[in-house]
Amino acid sequence: MGQFIQLVIDGFANGSIYASLALALVLVRRSTGMINFAQGAMGVFTTYVALLASNGGAIPSPVAALAALVCGFVVGAFLQWGVVRRFNVRNAQTATVVSIALFMLVTGICGMAWGYVVRDYPSLFPNAVLPIGPAVVSVQSLGTAAVVIVVVVLLQLLFYRTKLGLSLRAVADNPESSQLVGMNVARLLMVGWGLAAVLGALAGVLVAPKVYLFPQMMDQVLVYALAAAILGGLDSPIGAVIAGWIIGIVEALAGVYVGIIGSDLKIAVPLIAIFVVLLVRPQGLLGRKEVARV
Amino acid sequence: MDRFLASGRTRWIAFAVLVVAIGIVPIYAIPYVNYQLALIAVAAVSILGLNFVSGYIGQLSLGQSAFVGIGAYAAVFGVQQGWPDILIFLFSCAASGTIGLLVALPTARLRGHGFALVSLALPIVAIPLANRFQAFTGGATGRSVDWLHAPAWSRLADDQWRLYIIALIAIAFFLLGRNFVRGKFGRALQLVRDDELVASANGVDGYRARVLAFTMSSIFAGAAGFMYLLAVQYVTPNTMAFLSSLYLIGALVIGGRASVVGSLFGGVFYVAVPVVAGQIDASQTTLIYGAILIVVLFLVPDGIVSIPARVSVLVRRLRRPSPRKRGIT
Repeated sequence: MGQFIQLVIDGFANGSIYASLALALVLVRRSTGMINFAQGAMGVFTTYVALLASNGGAIPSPVAALAALVCGFVVGAFLQWGVVRRFNVRNAQTATVVSIALFMLVTGICGMAWGYVVRDYPSLFPNAVLPIGPAVVSVQSLGTAAVVIVVVVLLQLLFYRTKLGLSLRAVADNPESSQLVGMNVARLLMVGWGLAAVLGALAGVLVAPKVYLFPQMMDQVLVYALAAAILGGLDSPIGAVIAGWIIGIVEALAGVYVGIIGSDLKIAVPLIAIFVVLLVRPQGLLGRKEVARV
Repeated sequence: MDRFLASGRTRWIAFAVLVVAIGIVPIYAIPYVNYQLALIAVAAVSILGLNFVSGYIGQLSLGQSAFVGIGAYAAVFGVQQGWPDILIFLFSCAASGTIGLLVALPTARLRGHGFALVSLALPIVAIPLANRFQAFTGGATGRSVDWLHAPAWSRLADDQWRLYIIALIAIAFFLLGRNFVRGKFGRALQLVRDDELVASANGVDGYRARVLAFTMSSIFAGAAGFMYLLAVQYVTPNTMAFLSSLYLIGALVIGGRASVVGSLFGGVFYVAVPVVAGQIDASQTTLIYGAILIVVLFLVPDGIVSIPARVSVLVRRLRRPSPRKRGIT
């Protein structure tokens, strides 16, 4: 029983990281209609910035992480303004190539600036364990999950309680009409990308202590996040978060309890589960069904 | 390119020149060049296959590399069993095609991102599977073969002989692909892409079109896997990496969507750009590849295949003075 609780909480923590990046994918998808394969790489870049900001441990790591989030907003907004808006990203294939190119560019920049070596990254949380009933849970797992939950709630408040959130939703829903009522669509798209990159940056600083920091650090996380975003329906932020948690927990449990799967194949479990779900609900768990007008 | 090669005769002349070049170049080129040419043929055939799904039917597929890997591993199996080469080739295509069909049957019901996700899952799941079944795949180190040497009568080196075989397969598959997309079915695919409702009103079943396109695509990838093993003589799970699939999609768009000739350009791009990037600075290949990709996409959003049409528009504009100037004179 102790092991089970431990696995669920660890899976929940990992799932929170997937959820964070998945949420970033959903935000970009809603604002510019594309899947941003570079989202993870952008998170790696900001994590390097956090490492730089921590100044070898002189600055406490939560403050450095905050610097990464701010930097993420700037990077996201800049890439939207400098690169993405110059292409017709409503075409799925063009969008894919733009984001692949961005992915390579950002990874390449990280490699050029900091090298392709594996670095230690300090955890945001003390390296301690808490006994919860029969289980022993690491503070890092609890902290990771808590941070992501707080951020998701803040984001929800931003989208549904502020004017900025209202205009962001309006642009996501219908850019043309938003433009007609006088909204600054170009700037709102930049804000959308910036917010997404903040979430990516968050995923970066949370995952770096677990897997060490190197330019391709987020590639694996991106696959999970893509899976979570699609399972959630790609248009639904809440769906993406819930799907991220489900994937994290299912993966952790299956890796231990289903003998044949083991640690190397556990990534297959959520993917197969998603496949089954999509066959029943092609629009994802909480996605809207696309309706064609004849 | 279509405008440029409007007449069938120009097309066939270009094709004949290409075939003659393929016949002559391997004899004089150094092994390194022959090796790169073989890789271009491999990439071109997998991109052409990918084009059926992603170009003609407009459905993002992120798993093509998995099918190339399946084809290569199938060929390894055939070589180990000592099968005749023709049988190995058919087995590569059939193994990849069968798995493609099995994946497509349920997946083709999904459209858009559900389909993309399932195709994304293929390389992600296939790599740990290949690592797991070591007895068959050789695990992470992969399997190498020493296979298909040049017969003595040909007086060719191995790399030349292998390039000829690869080129022959590539030409055959390009002709096949051309007939496929120009025929009834290619039109059906594009109709499904443009408007599935119109397609169904015209008696074209979108589901069946997607299943067939995906199966064809995996058969082409299987052939590419066979060619890959022939050129490189080894295969590792990394051959199937998800990133390779992404690069294939990138090369497809750069070459030209929904274009047979564009697939060839895409193959050249896929192989040549890393080589060029490595020449500029071997440690920064990723950065340079990314930069080239985005610049080329910015300059020719419709792919390399659209360059002649763009040039001819420019030339016509230069020849004919603009209407306003004419008004003045």
